[in-house]
Parts: sequence; C-alpha cells; structure tokens
Amino acid sequence: MRTTIAITALLASAPTSLADPVSDIPVMQEEALEAGIDHAYRGPWEYFVGGGAASFDCNDDRMPDLLIAGGKLPSKLYINRSRAGGHLRFETAETGLKPRDLEKILGAYPLDIDNDGHQDIVLLRLGENILLKGGPECRFERANEAFAFEGGREWTTAFSATWEEGSAYPTLAIGNYVDRTAPGAPWGTCHDNALYRPAQGESGPLYDGRALTPGYCALSMLFTDWNRSGTPDLRITNDRHYYRGGEEQLWHVEAGRAPRLFSRSEGWRHLTIWGMGIAEGDIDGNGYPEYALTSMGDTKLQRLDEEAAEDRPIYTDIAFERGATAHRPYKGEDLKPSTGWHAEFADFNNDSLLDLFIAKGNVEQMPDFATVDPDNLLLGQWNGSFAEAGGTAGIGLPTKGRGAVVEDFNADGLLDLLVINREQPVSLFRNLGAKSKAGPRPGGNFVAIELAQKGPNRNAVGALVSVKIGTRTVNRTVQIGGGHASGHSGFIHAGVGTSERAEIRVKWPDGEWSPPYRVFANNFVRIERGAVEAGYWYPPE
Amino acid sequence: MSLDMWRKVALLGAALCTTLAPMATAEPWSEAVMPGAVEQDTLAGKLGRAALDTLRERGEHLFIGHFTPTDGVGRPFATQAIVPTKRKRPPQNGFFRSAGMDANSCAGCHNMPIVGGAGDFVTNVFVSEGFESADFDSLNPQFSNERGSNHLFGAGLIEMLAREMTADLRETRRRTLAAARETGEPATAALASKGVSFGTITAEPDGMLDLSGVEGVDDDLVVRPFSQKGVMTSIRQFTVNALNHHHGMQATERFGQRWTGERDHDGDGVEDEIRDGDISALVAWQAGLKAPVILEPEQAEWKAAAARGSALFDAMGCVACHKRALPLNSLEFADPGPLDMAGTLRDGELIEPVTYDLGLLEWASTLPRDAEGNVLVPLFGDLKRHVIADQEVAALGNELLAQRFVERNVFMTAELWGAGSTGPYGHRNDLPTLDEVIRAHGGEGRAARDRYVAASGEDRTTLVAFLKALVIEE
Repeated sequence: MRTTIAITALLASAPTSLADPVSDIPVMQEEALEAGIDHAYRGPWEYFVGGGAASFDCNDDRMPDLLIAGGKLPSKLYINRSRAGGHLRFETAETGLKPRDLEKILGAYPLDIDNDGHQDIVLLRLGENILLKGGPECRFERANEAFAFEGGREWTTAFSATWEEGSAYPTLAIGNYVDRTAPGAPWGTCHDNALYRPAQGESGPLYDGRALTPGYCALSMLFTDWNRSGTPDLRITNDRHYYRGGEEQLWHVEAGRAPRLFSRSEGWRHLTIWGMGIAEGDIDGNGYPEYALTSMGDTKLQRLDEEAAEDRPIYTDIAFERGATAHRPYKGEDLKPSTGWHAEFADFNNDSLLDLFIAKGNVEQMPDFATVDPDNLLLGQWNGSFAEAGGTAGIGLPTKGRGAVVEDFNADGLLDLLVINREQPVSLFRNLGAKSKAGPRPGGNFVAIELAQKGPNRNAVGALVSVKIGTRTVNRTVQIGGGHASGHSGFIHAGVGTSERAEIRVKWPDGEWSPPYRVFANNFVRIERGAVEAGYWYPPE
Repeated sequence: MSLDMWRKVALLGAALCTTLAPMATAEPWSEAVMPGAVEQDTLAGKLGRAALDTLRERGEHLFIGHFTPTDGVGRPFATQAIVPTKRKRPPQNGFFRSAGMDANSCAGCHNMPIVGGAGDFVTNVFVSEGFESADFDSLNPQFSNERGSNHLFGAGLIEMLAREMTADLRETRRRTLAAARETGEPATAALASKGVSFGTITAEPDGMLDLSGVEGVDDDLVVRPFSQKGVMTSIRQFTVNALNHHHGMQATERFGQRWTGERDHDGDGVEDEIRDGDISALVAWQAGLKAPVILEPEQAEWKAAAARGSALFDAMGCVACHKRALPLNSLEFADPGPLDMAGTLRDGELIEPVTYDLGLLEWASTLPRDAEGNVLVPLFGDLKRHVIADQEVAALGNELLAQRFVERNVFMTAELWGAGSTGPYGHRNDLPTLDEVIRAHGGEGRAARDRYVAASGEDRTTLVAFLKALVIEE
C-alpha cells in the first residue's frame, strides 16, 4: 500500500499558522432554551469525564431525537418537533424506563442491536451499563437480561460497535476509565476494557464479554477500517493522566479470533496523550481516513505515513502543518493549553471540505490549563489547512464542553450542533447559513443519505458512502463510536459545494459495491441495498 | 464602449442611489471589454426603464465584446467543467475547437439572424463534463455531445414560465406529502402545470416520495428550460457556465474565493474576472431579448400556405409537444431567480434581488393575454423533455453520452419560435431543412412525424411555410 498512500500536493502549500478562513463561516445561533432543552450534565469527580448524548430517530419521522446524559441527574429524552428549515423545537418524553436506569449516565450511543428496525441505545454508566431495546413511539425497555449482557460495575466512558463478518448482531466494545476500588486509585489503576460478542438467542443476541487488557483509561474508542481491508480494527484513545506505562491502542478484532493489540513490530507507534475523543474523516478524499485525537494541549491529526502499509498502521501527525492543533483558546487572555473532548469531522458550510469541531473545557479546576476554553470550529480550506472560526461562528462560549452531536436537527441541509457542557446547560446551535453582511446566506449544496439493507445490520454500520462530485470524491463512513461519549445514527450528511448533482456509491459492510446512484443535490435520499434508484424523502414542513 | 454609454452607466448608479465600481481608465482604442464593471450592490429592488436599459446596454457590451487576456480570457489551469475543476498543466493551445475555449465572444456564435440569435453548424459546441478527458481532441462522440447554438430570443419569458411551472409542481408535491402524512395513507397526485402533464407522484405517510411516475422533468421537479437537453435552470447559470467553457472568463460567483479558495482559479493571472454585477448585466440583456413573432407574410401565396400549415400543425399532432403558447402570470423578472443552487448567485445571498418588469419593453407590451390576464408566451414548446428517438427513427438519439442524468435519446422540446430564422436544425445542427428535422422525430414525436411523412407533398410544404413564418424580427 505504500504506493497508494500518496502525499497530496495540498500538503506542500499548506500554511503552518492559523489564518482567517476564506470559506463560508456558518452562523451558529444558540437556542437551547427556546428549543425546549433545559438540561445540564452535573456531578462530582466521576462526572468530570463523560457528558454525552445519543441522536437517533425513535418515532419513525426521520427527525433526530435526543437522549442526553445527565451525570448524577437523570438523563432526558427529547423528541424533535422541528420542521424543515424552522426553529429547533424539542419536547421531553417519557421513555418507559425505571428512573434509576436513567441515572449515573455518562454517555449514550444509538444502534439497532436486534435488527427490529427500532434504534436501541447503549447507556454508558457509572456502574452497570445498560442496553435499551427501542420500541415504537420512543418507548424503551431494559434489555440486559434479554440480551445476556453483563453490564459490569465499571466506570464506563467509551463505546463502539461493529458487525463482525457473518454475525447477525453487533459486537460491542466498552471502554472503561479508572478502577476506583483498586489500591492506589486513581493513579495507575485503569480498568480493563471489554469486548462483547453475540451469539444467536431466541429473538436477539446473547452476549459474551471478554476483557481487553490492558486497559489504559479509555475515553473514546472507534471501530475503524483504517486500511480499507474490510475488517475494522478497534482504535482506543487513552488518558495518560491516570495510566502508567500506557499508550494509544489499536486492536485487531477479527471474526472468530481473540482480539490482539497491534504491536510495535507491526508498525504501531508509541504515543501517549490525554486522549479524550476520536474523530475519523477522509479529509483529502484519498479513501483512507485521517483521525483527530483530542487531548490536553495539542490536538493530534493523524494520517497514514509514507512508511505505512496495508498491515502497518504507521501514522504521522499533520496537525501543525494543517493548522489544526487547536492547542490553546483562540480568544480571550488565557494562553494556557486547551482541554479537548468531543471531536467530529463534518461539513458545516457545505463547501464539500470537511471541517473539524472540537468541544473544549477545563476538566474542572486544573490550574495549568485554560479556564475559559471555547469550542473550536476549524473550517477546512481548499489548500488542505484548517482555519479557526469558532468565535466568528458563534460557538465560542465560556462553557465546559464535553460530548456533542453534529446533526441537521431541522432538516434544512445545514448541520446544527448540540454541545453537552459540564455543570452548565447544554448549548444547542442552529446553523442559519453563511455569514455575510446581508445576514446569513445559503451555503453550498448538500446531500443527506439514509442507508438500509435487509437482515442484520439494517442501517449498514461500517458502510462507506462515496459521493462523486466532478473529479473529487467525498467519503463518509457509517460508524458507531468515537467522539466523546456521544453518537448519532440516521442520515449521513455530505456537503457537495457547487455541484447540483452527485453520484453516490455505497460499499456495503460486506464489501459489495453498489451501482452508482444519481441524485440531485439539496435532497434527502434513501438508498436501499439492491434498489435501482435512490428514493427521495421530504421532511415535515 | 461609447462615451454615451459611459454616461448611461453613471446614470444607472445615480438612479439607484448607489455607486459604480471605480472605472479603470481605458484608452479609446482599448481592446479590453471589462472596464466599467457593474457592482452587484447597486442592483436591488425594482428597476425602472432607464436603469434597465443601461444595465442591458452593459450586458450587450459584454455579450458582443471580444474578451482579451487583460479581461481574463483563458483558463490554463481550469477545465470547461461546470463545477470548478483544476487541470494539472495548461493545454497546448488556449483556444481549441473541440474541448474549448472555442470563442472569445458570446456573439461569436449567437448571431443568426442578429446578435442573440442562433448559430450555423460551424458554431457547434462540444459538450462534455470536463472532468475526465477534459482535453479531448476528437469529435468522436465518446468524448462529447455536439450541439448547435440556440437562439436566446424570449429567454426571459422562458425562464419565468419555468419558474412558475416549477412552483406549481412543487406545490403539488407539498400538498401530496402533507395529505399522506395527515391521512396515514399513500397519496397520489397528477403533476401538471400550464396544461403540461409531468406524470404523477405518490407520497408515502413517512415522507418518502415515489417518483417513478414522473415524466419529462428532473426528480427534484425543477423545470430546467435551457440547453437542448433541458438541464440548465436559468439564464444566469447558463451564462456562468458558458463564460468559463467558451472564453475562460470565470465568474466570481462560482469560481471565486468562496468556492475554490482562489481569486484566480484558472491561473491566467487575472483575479475575479467577471463579477456578480456584470453577470447580472448579461442576464438582463438576454432576459430582455424580444420574443420571436409569427410573421404575417406579404406574399399571398405564402400567407395562404402558412395558414393551412398552421392548421395542419395542429391536425398532425405537432402541437401535442410544440404547444403554441403557455400562459405566464407575471412579467416581473427577478435576478437572481428562486431556483438556482450554490455556485450561481441566489436570491438568498442578497439583501434584495433586482427585479424588472419585462412589460416595460415595447415588444413585451404587445404580447397577447388570456381572459385571466396571463401573458400568452408563443414559444411553440412545452418545456418538457421527451424521448425523441426509437428503433426505426433514431437520428436524434445518435449520441453516446447521457448529459447531467438525462438519457441520450431524451431532449427538451425545441421551442419553435424563431425556427424560420435559425436553420439548420436538430440538436447537432446538422439537418439543413425543416422537412428533414420533422422526419427525424422518433419516440414520442413519431406519430406526428408519421402523419407528416404520410401527408401529401403539398401539405408538407404548407407546414414548412407555417414554420418559416416563425421568425426573429431583425
């Protein structure tokens, strides 16, 4: 693969310092309370980390609903009542769960575990993790017993899922933090992580867990097909604050085989950071994903090194040359290092270039790190660099960001943003369009794609969506995991710039490529495996 | 540009209480076309006649001007593609008959019978995506579709018809989706506007839309009236496309910093080659081009033949697609329009778009109206795409490449107004006579064509006599 991992020409011209973006700057208007979301993530030390949310459709209207973690407070379910292009509107709703099941929650990820067409939820908790089986009209029931899922007693802070080859149900990876009961805690007492593989039960999976050891206080994990082999491996970012002798990890996870760590001899390099979030995105469209790893101080932006090969995951950090280190607050007087949490690549201005959102916030009162630490919105530039626009866009609030969801909550083609803040109300930003002297103006064109296939893995987790616009290809991967304690399912969004049409191909999770689907931009489309044409969906007005 | 025109440009600015861009000083003998750009900021609200005339004069100046390197002609590092696309190295020749650039003036091709008109076979262009094999040096149809140059007369009316039809179709879509959501049952509706059927849609209660019954229009239900294929939405979009393709004049609104990160995307040393206001001027000039007319022949023999041919036009079924007129509700032309997408200036990008009433122009004030007050636009078309070739009559399906999702044997109904002034015919401009192009109709035009072929020679002649009376006044 050495020959295929090309250094792009973009790199040569990329600046090494921050510059104002020349692309559209989105106008992000905070309207959480007006939208009906009055919620905060609170709690003592154990809730310094976590603070996530799951975004998914639980009432079959294709509008993303929210389950937001509350820490020591109850988590809440919010039903999306927004209309196309309108103000964001949410209503709280009952879940059908016992109150205690909604407490002590740090994060949540949605996925359809039992292939029944309803989104289920994995709740990451301080104590027993819970699988929620989703039903009609946003009703849920605890499914640990039905799915033989041993929720453990750990302090869980990370999650990812994949459908291993031949499996009817997802394999679940659980990332744990500090073992508070171990002698000497919290220093050097990281819990093991766990991998749950499914067997066939009567009407769903029966899970069998095994330890992923050693654990190094995982704060984010992601099944990722880094080498496009068709078999995702498990990348884990770990918090060096508490581990001893630890590092970032990549696990081989191959069907029918015990998981094993990538070793130094396989090219995996030792890296220790205060790893808090993972984002994956193919920023240069070459088919191979790059990774953003949030930390205290520099954010890492990794791409495959020239020495990498198909079985050698050697990465090099390009954050500095791309202007993506986001290492200290971009405004205010505080020059101390930043603390980064959730990271997510997405195209906020629909110019077809990936942008990078990073939630920022002091852990609590760490004196060596910035106290006021606004979230970042690094806009992708045509020369391959990133330019900071968080303040100009309006997301640079003095909050302590943790998890986040980047989602088009009002189905207008513009990505909105939910940020869960520690000990402060959540922020919900509506994307009004591009900043201009005449007020917000329309951005670039977009397509939003919903995937569906029959049988297991109905939502095609692991699929690669390849959107061809002219000579360029915009790639998106359907994943469950990463970020910081937050995940979303549903439409896959891609900005397509000035293209009015796009040709979409899907590499389904089993590796089969779809035929090209021709779609008109600025539409929501559904691609069912085997269908001759993409279907069009229109949001409620 | 004449001194008189300079004065008018200045007056336009004064009339709008705005300012024009600083005019570069140009010697009277300057070959440059661009000095004196119109600033888009000066264009807002409703234009009166004088301001419209001045704007159109600037547009005409740009339309007939021969762009020079000083203006920005050339695109050594960009292809002809509609989506900004870089090339790695400059082509061997800047001007190149097949892949372009192939002209340095709009009027170089659009000049028959007068400026703004169509072009002879020699003005054919070679349409390709401009992505792969952008520098094709062959006329082989595997690389491009060869197309004749259409006339632009009545283009403003055409665009407004398409806007109104799109609004009708989208309103039907909105109502159908709402009905399905409200009742919880699938809802089916006929898509039609101005008497033209576009098939049916079926909405599901969950908001999915079955488009398999849609006919003759894109899945997004935007009636795209321009180009022979019917794939361009607006005069503005077509103008931006053509300026790059044919001249290497890159409009800022698509090729500028916002969408490419560069002010000189094509690498010819000229930044922001043609700005929004000048595109607006070009749009105004084209939108205001008079509608072709039905000539009242002076010769009694022609007059009689044309009258009989007119009746046969209906009787043979030509009128099924070549509808004599479509009703237009309003002559208010807004620029930018409501349907363009990113890369073409959109109304939402401005504080206020400019509008002008084409009824201010003498030719438009004489157009007939129906009982409801709608202007009857005598286009002899339906702004709908049709299959125009079949197994036996395949001449108009002689291409290899689909264009912008439209199959190779499907074309927009050619508007016949002006046909008498704009031979040769067919999308390749390779059918010298009206008789030949009628005989080339297959597919959905086959039945009418067969009636024509089966008719007597005299009847066929009279039909041609009628069509020859559809002229662009000189």
